Parts: sequence; C-alpha cells; structure tokens
Amino acid sequence: MQLSDRMTGGAIATLGAMAFFYGSQLPPVPGQQVGPSAFPMVVGGGLVLCGVLIAMGVGRHFEEVAEADVASHSAPELLEPLPAWRNWLALLPPALMIFYALVSEPLGFLLTSAIIVLVGALAFGARLKLAVPVAIVGPFVINFIFLKLLRVPLPGGLLPFPW
Amino acid sequence: MSDLLQAFGLVFQTDVLIAIAASAIYGLTVGAIPGLTATMAVALLVPITFYLSPIAAIATIITASAMAIFAGDIPGCLLRIPGTPASAAYTDDAYQMTRKGQAETALGICLWFSALGGIFGTFAVTLIAPALAEMALSFSTYENFWLAMLGLMCATLVARSSPIKAIAAMLLGLLITCIGINNPGGVARFTLGSTDLLGGIEPIPALIGVFALSEVMRALTEREPPKMEDRRLGSILAGQWALTKKYPKQQARGNVTGILVGVLPGVGADMAAWASYAISKRFSKTPEKFGTGHPEGLIEAGASNNASLASSWVPALLFAIPGDTITAIAIGVLYMKGLNPGPALFTEQASSMYALYIIFVIANLIMIPLGIVAIRLSSRMVRAPRSAVMPLILVFCAVGGFATAGNNLFAVWCVMVFGVVGFLMEKNGYPVAAMVLGIVMGTMVEQNFVTSLIKSDGSLVPFFSRPVASVLAAMTFAALLWPVFSWGLQKLRGRRVVTA
Repeated sequence: MQLSDRMTGGAIATLGAMAFFYGSQLPPVPGQQVGPSAFPMVVGGGLVLCGVLIAMGVGRHFEEVAEADVASHSAPELLEPLPAWRNWLALLPPALMIFYALVSEPLGFLLTSAIIVLVGALAFGARLKLAVPVAIVGPFVINFIFLKLLRVPLPGGLLPFPW
Repeated sequence: MSDLLQAFGLVFQTDVLIAIAASAIYGLTVGAIPGLTATMAVALLVPITFYLSPIAAIATIITASAMAIFAGDIPGCLLRIPGTPASAAYTDDAYQMTRKGQAETALGICLWFSALGGIFGTFAVTLIAPALAEMALSFSTYENFWLAMLGLMCATLVARSSPIKAIAAMLLGLLITCIGINNPGGVARFTLGSTDLLGGIEPIPALIGVFALSEVMRALTEREPPKMEDRRLGSILAGQWALTKKYPKQQARGNVTGILVGVLPGVGADMAAWASYAISKRFSKTPEKFGTGHPEGLIEAGASNNASLASSWVPALLFAIPGDTITAIAIGVLYMKGLNPGPALFTEQASSMYALYIIFVIANLIMIPLGIVAIRLSSRMVRAPRSAVMPLILVFCAVGGFATAGNNLFAVWCVMVFGVVGFLMEKNGYPVAAMVLGIVMGTMVEQNFVTSLIKSDGSLVPFFSRPVASVLAAMTFAALLWPVFSWGLQKLRGRRVVTA
C-alpha cells in the first residue's frame, strides 16, 4: 500500500480544492461577513498548498531521517519484508467491519461476532483447535459485558443471549 | 480545604476504586503485549467509560494509560520492541541491559522512576494549573485561537515525519470536523445528502478506527513478534534506592524536563522522553556508554515521560488542547461526562480537579506493586497468542463504535473508514496523531476563528495587536518555520564539511 508522494500529494491537493470550492458555495449568514464558508475555504486552501509541496517532494528529507532512526532502533529480523500477498490481508479487517454493519441486525451479535473472530483468527494463522473455542467464548463474554453490565442494546437476531 | 475533603469523598467510593483496580490490570495486560499500544488500550476503553460515573470514567482513563505506558517498557526491555512511542527513546539501553543479564534492574528502573516521575509531575500540576487557570480566565477568542494553533503546530513538529505531511494530516482532521451542521451558520456542510452525517463525525469511532482497527490491519501484514523466553528475574526493586541516590540530578532533571514539555500544548510523553534522553547524554560524564546498557539515560527519560503524562493534562484541562493522543481521547471523555475543559473547571468544579490529582497519585502508587506482579508474569502474558487477541479486538472495535455513538450502526462504518484511512496514512508517512488532534480540536478552532473574525468585522489586526495573542502568534509561526530553519542549518553545515 506504499503509494508515491506524487499520488498522495495529488489526492490531498484535489481534496483541498474540492473543499475550497464546496465551501465557497455555502450560503452566508445574512448581515455578517464571515460565516460557515470561511473555515472550509482556509483549510481547503492549506490542503492544496500542502498537497502540491508533497507532490514536489519537499520535506522528504525529514522522513528519510526519521525512517533511518526507526530502523536503527528496531530488531533486524522485524524489518525483513514479507511476501507481497500478505499486504492484501490488510483488507480483511475493514471487510469484517462491513460484514458486521450489514448482518449484525438479522443474524444477531453472537453469531456475527463468532464468524468475525473465527475468520480473523484463521487469517492470523491460528489452528482450528484455538480458533473455534475463542470464537465461541469470546463473543459470549463480550456480549455479557456490553448487554448485561453496560446495557448496550446489542442485537439478538437468530441467536439471542440466553439469559 | 473543603474541596479537598470532598475530592477524597469522590475518589474513595466503591465504583471508583473498582474502576481503578480493573483498569490497572487491563492497562498492564494490554501494554505488556507487544503490538498493542497504550493509545489502543485507552481507545478501546472509552465505550466502557460511557456507562460509568464521571469520576470513575476519568479514573479508568488515567490509571489505564499510566499502567499501559509503563507496561510498554516490558516488551521493549525484553524483546527490543517498544510498547509505546514514548519508550522508544530508551529501548536500546534497556534491551542491552537485559542482554547483560540485568533485566530486573532495567525493568526496576522503568517501574521505580516512572512512578516517582508520575507523582512529581502530579504535584507540579497541582501548582501550575490553578495559576494558569487564573490567567486563562482573561483570554479572549483571539488568544484561544492562537493557543489552539500553537498546539496543532507543535503536534506537527514533534511528529517524526515530514512536517508538510504532518500539517496536511492535521488539516485533514480539521476538514473532517467541518462535516455536519455544527458550525457558525448551522448549515449542512459536506453531508452529501446523508442524514447520518448531519450530526458530524463522532470523534470516538474515528479514534477507534485509527488506533485499533488500523493496528489490526497492520499486524496482519507484519511478522509475529518473537516469543519471549522464560526468564528467572531477581529482586526488582533491590538496586533502585542506590540508583536514586547515585543519579539524583538526572532524575530531577528528567522530572522537570518532562513537566515543562508536557505543559506545552500539543507535545507529550514521546517528545519528553526523546528530549530527556538527549539532555542526559549531552551532560553525562560518560556519553559513550549511552545505548550500550547504561542506566543513566534510562533513568532520566523514564522519569521524564511519566512526569509529562501528568502535566500534559494541564493544556487538556485548561484549553481542551491535548498533549498527546491519550489526552486527546481523554478530552472526548471529559466532554462526554459534562466536565467541559476550560479555566472554569478549576474555579467551579475544584473538587473534581482535586479528585483527578488524587487518582493520579493513587495510580502511580499502585503501579509499583502491580508492576512487579506484571513483570513477574510478563513472560506468560506476552505468550497470549496474537491470533486469539487480534480477532477479539476486531469485535471490540465494532461494539465500541456502536455503543459510543448512540447505538447506531453508522458508527461501525465510521470505524471501518477511519481504519482504512489510518492504515494508508501510516504506510505513507502521514502521522495519524496529527489528524487526530485536528479532529479533536477542529470545532473549537473554527469557533474561535469565526467568532474572532465576526468581532473584528473581518479584520485580521486584533489577531496580532493584543499582547498575549501576539506572543502566541509569534510562537506559532516560529513552530511553523522551524523545519525550514533546521533544514537550512543542516545544509549550511553540510556545505562547510564539504569545503573543509
């Protein structure tokens, strides 16, 4: 997921320009010179400036110094690169959040979170012998804490909390 | 005096004491597991504080953060993996001591001098904060605006990355707070027609996304940290008194540096530790020993980061300007609990303030016995398999977001989006902490900015003509221009070396 400075800088400048333009279109408060449009325009303008500077590579020097510093402070075996496919695994946690947002109401908290824990544990390389018990006990304990002790209305769905 | 007695009454209640004990154990456990940071520990705790009484809620945050910052030293010392950025400065020295077979002394130093620094810092806060509160009462929106800007600028300065990227991250945070109808005109901004966005982005789900979900994402792409071997540890506190007597100057200097750095808006424990380590090396009689397992720097930096942990609450409580990511979360909790930060907090709710100090002292006192237990059990705690802990954190992310934002599934979407944003920023050198400060302070900055402009009829002159405001403005611009200056200085020096 390492993107070039040109790409991230460009994205920031574009976002800033959009914020500036959107801000300038906001209706003013009658009788006042300054209203809701001032702040987004200032921030948007700042983002455009920063984005252009980043795309031009200004300030890169500071990052190199910091990176070298971090490298000199960590154990060498942790810095060895991992196979590229591992990078794609990073998409799993957000995908599981979307899964929770979509199915927790119909399926209920216990089932949804058991699936999340099981999939997550397997992705981290757990054996089934560990993943299955964690997926059963973990959600149960969390459900107890939030539903019974803190009274958060977690959805019951297909398998409501037993007591 | 009656305020103080009342404060004791507030603290010594069953629910507060249980909250302190439970969050102490929680903080020590999370901090000791490599890969889980103190900030993550606190972010995941917020949903629970939602349902506690105000004092109990603050007590959990204070205790858990102090414990997690100390416990972060354990994997740093034994595995050379700094648990928190605040302990990165002296991880080398601590680890080298472990390799020399002095693990118990190194961990003892971390524990003993952290606790002393924390208590010293707390006493300094009790002296500084009320005096500053008096002064702050006379501040107008101009001063408050510059103070907030100074905080934001300092935060970008200490980010160990490109200052421009840090400023961009901070501006992104400010832009995020523009979403919704909570603005001077009361118009819907950046809502794109969504009713969920009308109320704006709640900071807590955003923080959970940035600090917890993105950490899980990162862990999936990284190697599992090495397992800690079983180690027989000798007495942990045995040599500490001798060290206290041997290095009194280092300890005192660490405390004072930590307090001063902590009081600065926007600068917190990480900066204190790095600064103290550098100072200690600069004034040491044996600077060549630093980094090879020498206790001197460890003592000074360890004392400093815990002292600053206490004093970084000063800008947080007085001006709602966080000193670090943990106080950024704490400010959210303060607002949630009706203890709105500001100088009035010290005059009108003095007993709550005293209660806060008492909790700080208690947290640092119980840190010593509980810390010893944690060190003794650490090899077992650290062995908790990552593949079991991380998936449970995922569930906590979802439930935590849901519970803090009015039991709304929209918050889970927020957690998801901010997790991805935080992950991408981290990978590309954009400091996430700067964005978080922007998110926490954005509404306040805009309010002060727009109110000031309305008062002055759109003129910028009063921003610079009032005495305190002009000093703060000068400091802000100095912070903004400092990277350019330091870069120029390095260039100049480099050229001199080349020509010589």
